[in-house]
Amino acid sequence: MSTSNVSADLVWEITRKQNAFLVQRKTAGGTQFSRDPYNLVNLQSRKYAGFVNDKAIGIAPGEKGGVTVVSKKAGSANKPASGLISTNYSGNKSARKTYKAVANATAKNGYRADLRQVAVARVSAIRKSQRPVKASPERKLRGNAAKKAAESS
Amino acid sequence: MASRPTVTILGADGKATGATEVLPKVFSAPIRPDIVKHVHTGMAKNKRQPYSVSEKAGHQTSAESWGTGRAVARIPRVSGGGTHRAGQAAFGNMCRSGRMFAPTKIWRKWHVKINQGQKRFATASALAASAVTPLLMARGHQVSTVPEVPLVIDSAAFGGATKTAGALGLLTAVGAGADVEKAKASKKLRAGKGKMRGRRHRQRRGPLVVYSTEADGKDLIQGFRNIPGVETCPVDALNLLQLAPGGHLGRFIVWTSSAIKELDSVYDSKKGFFLPSAVVAQADLTRLINSSEIQSVLRAPKGEAKTKRGNVQKKNPLRNKQIMLRQNPYAATYAKENLGSVKANNGKPTPLPAGFTELLNEV
Repeated sequence: MSTSNVSADLVWEITRKQNAFLVQRKTAGGTQFSRDPYNLVNLQSRKYAGFVNDKAIGIAPGEKGGVTVVSKKAGSANKPASGLISTNYSGNKSARKTYKAVANATAKNGYRADLRQVAVARVSAIRKSQRPVKASPERKLRGNAAKKAAESS
Repeated sequence: MASRPTVTILGADGKATGATEVLPKVFSAPIRPDIVKHVHTGMAKNKRQPYSVSEKAGHQTSAESWGTGRAVARIPRVSGGGTHRAGQAAFGNMCRSGRMFAPTKIWRKWHVKINQGQKRFATASALAASAVTPLLMARGHQVSTVPEVPLVIDSAAFGGATKTAGALGLLTAVGAGADVEKAKASKKLRAGKGKMRGRRHRQRRGPLVVYSTEADGKDLIQGFRNIPGVETCPVDALNLLQLAPGGHLGRFIVWTSSAIKELDSVYDSKKGFFLPSAVVAQADLTRLINSSEIQSVLRAPKGEAKTKRGNVQKKNPLRNKQIMLRQNPYAATYAKENLGSVKANNGKPTPLPAGFTELLNEV
């Protein structure tokens, strides 16, 4: 924040009821989700609201089965174009090494240790989604009548 | 605040010109969504045209009640015969072709007076919010390509902006292109009757260009006016409806350098108005809590670093040795000396010593 009259706490109080990322549905007890790219769990909450916090991490699928991790530079909130650090983790790297790297990037140097677990979980989910889908096995024929019908046809 | 924050002035190519400007005082005004919302609600009502239904609607018949005794309701009924209309109920709001309930009147209270101080407070608040990137993002502006917020562009760069192509090129060069594109792509047909009432389309708002009438002139209005979603506003006539559309704070504003230079004098010239000051000097709660002033007067936390958990699963001491030892410390010795398998007395009672019975029975 450029001026001292503004803080993440104030921004959250202003935007918690209404913001461009908020998705509200009346079903399922009035669920609240967030479309914020810097929200690791896509839930509307103070902790995970990436656009509000000075330090936040966004994880998205990258090229060729990898992940792209974007983190905000603390203290450069009023410089949107240059206030981001983007890192690619290749899909060729083993998943465990990627988890380790993302966990370190999230939690080390006093960044956001509270987000380590969800960051790793998100990487895991993205990596899983990028794996080729296994073909489901062919249906077995049940009963003699079905087998006979298959033979005769 | 020891030193006032400055803002970089960008050139036509979006690169910093090297010149900077001290951020006008209005940007440190408190951000009050409640006041902005309230003032916006009032101001939005002040452009309304009176409307009403015709005074005569539903009353253009000579209906009279039939009174009691004819086994029909006492509502006025259309007189005469020879047509289906005769004998039908009239006038009431529940009747077909009757008048509406409480017909609208042109003398409804259309306009709302808002105190000037409140309006100025709201405008200052909206300006302060326009310098906060997260609030711009929360409003939905695409600002990820913008080099700096507030975005100030050298007035000299607006020379080519008298034509739409030049204006659009300038916005794209300074990183506001994404927001313009978003506004352009958002144009949708309005749902409902508004389509036939001059409100055919609805679309998002893009950047607002604030200029200084004296220094920049009015030519740039023509350059920007045909770009969808982009609006222009002179710095001495800032409008809350543009600064906080829908009552939502954080409009993306593109300032000309002369406009931002003029902003302080605009507020100085408002007689009897002082810029609102923040109630708290430091709005960051975490920093307040962790400050040495607060921490030095706090008592040390009670209890251990690890407190006992209240509601835990009950363990069976007969199976869990540690739990048994906690409840019965003697269990250790008991187990060690194998006391559980020692017979209390070794089988039969010890025989009496020899001669005992004789001695007892001696007369």
